[in-house]
Amino acid sequence: MAACTRGLKNLLTSIKFCRTLQFQDERFLCTSALRFANNEPPKFVPPSKPVIINKTQTTASTRRFLSPEFIPPRGRTDPFKYFMERRDMVRRRKALNIPEFYVGSILAVTMADANASGKTNRFVGICIQRGGRGLGATFVLRNILNGQGVEICYELYSPRIQTIEVLKLEKRLDSNLMYLRDALPEYSTVDPEMKPVPFSPTGEVPVNKLKVKMCPKPWSKHWERPQFAIQGIRFDLCMTPKQMEFVQKKYAKPWEEYDMLKEYDTSKLEEQIFAEVQQEMNK
Amino acid sequence: MRLTLQTLISHGRVARRMGLGPESRINMLRNILTGLVRHERIETTLARADEVRFYAEKLIDYAKKGDTDEKAMKMASFWLTEKDLVPKLFKVLAPRFEKHSQGFTRMARLPNRENLDRAKMAVLEYKGNPFPPLYPVKKENELTLINQLLKGYREEKTQELYMKCTENVTVNN
Repeated sequence: MAACTRGLKNLLTSIKFCRTLQFQDERFLCTSALRFANNEPPKFVPPSKPVIINKTQTTASTRRFLSPEFIPPRGRTDPFKYFMERRDMVRRRKALNIPEFYVGSILAVTMADANASGKTNRFVGICIQRGGRGLGATFVLRNILNGQGVEICYELYSPRIQTIEVLKLEKRLDSNLMYLRDALPEYSTVDPEMKPVPFSPTGEVPVNKLKVKMCPKPWSKHWERPQFAIQGIRFDLCMTPKQMEFVQKKYAKPWEEYDMLKEYDTSKLEEQIFAEVQQEMNK
Repeated sequence: MRLTLQTLISHGRVARRMGLGPESRINMLRNILTGLVRHERIETTLARADEVRFYAEKLIDYAKKGDTDEKAMKMASFWLTEKDLVPKLFKVLAPRFEKHSQGFTRMARLPNRENLDRAKMAVLEYKGNPFPPLYPVKKENELTLINQLLKGYREEKTQELYMKCTENVTVNN
C-alpha cells in the first residue's frame, strides 16, 4: 500500500517535472514515467490540454462550394470526357489543397521555379479572373510592385504550383475585375507581407461592396457599356448621368434576356457534380 | 497576337444569322412564332422554320410552368406580339402537351417556292392540331383474305360475348 502511494507520488512528481520542462512528445513522457515508476506498469496519463470537439459544427453546416472549373461548358462534347477530367482533378486535389476562393480574394501562390534562388517563388495578389474549365482552369492574380502593375495567370492544376493560400476570402460586386487595370493603383496594391485574415468555414462569404475610382478615360475597354454589366465602378465620378444614360441606351440589347438560346441552366448538373466530387474526395 | 478572329470563325455557333442583325433576327422569329401559335401550322422557308422550332418548344416549356410564374408570363408576353394569344398558350397549348416532355412540333419539307429564288420551304406545326395529318395515315386494305377472316373472327367473338351477357341476365332474372 505504502509502496503504491510512493510509486504514485514518484509518478506525479515525474509528471510535474515533465510539464515544467514542457515535453511535447508523448512517447518521451511515457518512457520517463517508466524510468521513475519502478514496479508498477505505466498508468494512463490523461492529456494535459483539453481536447475541444465542437459538436455544433457538423459537415452539413460548412459552406457548399463547387469550384467553377468543374461545371462543364455548353457544347456537343461527350460528358465522359468531363467525367475523366474530373477524376484527374480530384486526384490532383488530394495531393495539393486547393482552397475555396472567389474573384476579389487575396491569394498567395508559391510556384516551383528552376531559376530562382530557393527554387520557389511566391506571389501575392488579388484574384481578378477565374477562367477555363477542367484541368486547364486558370486564375489571374494582380498586384503592383515598385509602381509596376503585374498580373500572373496561374493554372490551378499545374504541377509547378506548391501551395495556394487564401490570405483574405471575400467576394466583390462583379465576377470579373479586369477594370482594375484602368482603376487607380491603390485598388490593386496588395502588401506582399500581408498576414492571413482569419475566416470561418461556415456562413456567408463577405461581399466587399467597394466601388472603385477610375483613371481618366480612355480605358482599355468601354467598361460603362451594358455588355459588361459592372457594378463596382464609381461612374458618377467619371461621366455625367446623361452620358451614362446615353451609352446604356445605345448599346443595350433588351432582347438578350428573352433569348432562350443563350440560357444555360446548370443547377441540376451542379448538384450531381457536387455530390460526385464530395464522394471522390472523401474516399 | 490573336491568330483567330472570333467574328469570322463560327465553330460551335448554334444561332443562324438572319435579317439585318441579332435584333432583326429575334423580331422575325417572334413574328413567325406568333403566327405558329395562332394558326398551329405555318409554312415558311426551311431555315426560319428550323430556328423557330427551337423557340417554339422552349416557349411550351415555359408555358408548362404555369400562368402564375412571373418569368413565364414575361417570356410569353415578349414572344407573342398579339396579346390575345397569351391565354391560348397557357390554357390550350400547355395542357395539350402536359404528358409529353419534348417533341411538341413537327417539321416537313415542301416543294421549293415558285418564285425566282426557288427557296426551300417547310411546314411547321404543333402536334395535336385540328388539321388533317401532314403525312397520310396508311389504311390497311380490308378486302384481303386475312383481314376478312380476322373481321369474321372478331364478329363471332362479340356475338358469343353478347349471348353470354344475355344468358346471365336471364339467369339472374
